Amino acid sequence: MSNFQQPTSGNWLDANGGVFIVGIGLHPYQFPSETPYTELGLTAVRAALQDSGLPWDRVQSAYVGTTSIGMAAGRVMLRHLGSTGLAVTQVENASASGSFAFRQACMEVATGMSDVVLAVGVDKHGDGRRAANKDGLERLSETATIPAAKFAMMARTYLRERGASVEEMANVAVKNHSNAARNPFAQFRKTRTLEQVLASPRVVGDLTVQQCCPRGEGAAAVMVVSGNAIRKLGLDSQRCVRVKASVAGSERPEMQYGDSAVELVRTSAQAAFDQAGIAPKELDLLELHDAFSVEELLYSEAIGVCDSGEGARYLARGDSQIGGRCAINASGGLIGMGHPLGPTGIGQLAEITRQLRGEAEGRQHPKAQWGMAHMIGLGSVSVAHVLSASA
Amino acid sequence: MTDSKTSLKPLQPTLYELAEDGHSLNFFFMQCSACGGLNFPANAPGCMHCGEPLSGAQRVTRPGGGELLEFVTLHVPLLPGMAAPSIAGDIRIAPGIVEEGVMAVGDETALKHGMTVRAVAAMKPEEGVYACRFVPVNEGAVQ
Repeated sequence: MSNFQQPTSGNWLDANGGVFIVGIGLHPYQFPSETPYTELGLTAVRAALQDSGLPWDRVQSAYVGTTSIGMAAGRVMLRHLGSTGLAVTQVENASASGSFAFRQACMEVATGMSDVVLAVGVDKHGDGRRAANKDGLERLSETATIPAAKFAMMARTYLRERGASVEEMANVAVKNHSNAARNPFAQFRKTRTLEQVLASPRVVGDLTVQQCCPRGEGAAAVMVVSGNAIRKLGLDSQRCVRVKASVAGSERPEMQYGDSAVELVRTSAQAAFDQAGIAPKELDLLELHDAFSVEELLYSEAIGVCDSGEGARYLARGDSQIGGRCAINASGGLIGMGHPLGPTGIGQLAEITRQLRGEAEGRQHPKAQWGMAHMIGLGSVSVAHVLSASA
Repeated sequence: MTDSKTSLKPLQPTLYELAEDGHSLNFFFMQCSACGGLNFPANAPGCMHCGEPLSGAQRVTRPGGGELLEFVTLHVPLLPGMAAPSIAGDIRIAPGIVEEGVMAVGDETALKHGMTVRAVAAMKPEEGVYACRFVPVNEGAVQ
């Protein structure tokens, strides 16, 4: 079906008539259960197919983001939709597995290799095995590869250098739990007061339980299509959201103590803005990796929706709330919606698509035109996508 | 490998050994023959500064310690069997090398950002090993 066209804009995502999300679907994120992963994933895929209006036999290729299920998760699950012979590829990149599955789908569509591609993230709560513990190298501390300790130290440094308070940081969790309470796919559906967040058990440093994301399970899926396919297949272009940037990178040596992760976020986000042709402050929506509350403050500055040093004040002014200047983690983020790993990045993209369509009932950010989904993964790797409501 | 100064073995033998005083630890580094940079741990397969293989590089032994950059209390066990509460710190043990270590102090009030800390052995005779802990330079004993 493909009729490959070179982009005239210099943006590889403008080839093949452009790259679009035409359908989204989720299985609610939840605490670990006995539900087979196939049931989680198929719920999300079937919902995305129905949302798109595409039949399963039109899907030419599938990318499956997962971390903890095991080998060959995709075909074992997708065969229940019909053995159409489509290409199936499994993608693992820690927290960013789903985001990278989506990026692969975008590349496959933009090159013209395919016109209709599924990106799905699905996961069960796993045993946490990680390559960093198998590299043959000893470490002075057994917690050296545990993110909670690293981010708690980053929080200490952030609060000291910015003159911010523990309460200001904890308000990230208050906002995101409030957003999650309005999201039917979120793992946590309760609002939390500042007092409740601060009074929850301490985990590491100044981070309490309610400032840390839960682990769990779930699934999220998006249907990625070319602009040419929208026309040829008669899809509803009014509900399509365009992918304007897709950028990936990995960590470089730090220039000063503790800045490598933040620099990774900064450089990948800036490259994505350059590709999309917009400025950071034009964003209406931002979904980011708030596995720990301090990350939202750090990354909102690094991504540039607010000025350096303004993260806590941006939040305190309500600028990052739904209805504010740029709604950050309108889904509830990793803290509120949950972080099942494989689905998380695709769940971000589904949330932004829903918002840009104006279909986020109960938590709609008004007049949303531009959104960014930004993820980092253990190691560290980063991936940023910019979505536009306009074709 | 059993250290001649004790019958106990280092918990992480590729990282350190007991120093002459029988209490402090010496760290093992590998000095890259291409760029001259120090690498830790010494058995890393490539130079963290320039990427050269370290197979022919020279091993360097230096007193373990450095500048304490940040620290936090781990209020709960983050891993099975881990002691809690405990204090973890980021320590610059050589130019361009920051490692997380376990601080052997009673609480955070004993620590300050930028202070110099040194690595000492925490003897665990019941396990037959000694482990690495960090203490402020003006403190001698592991608590």
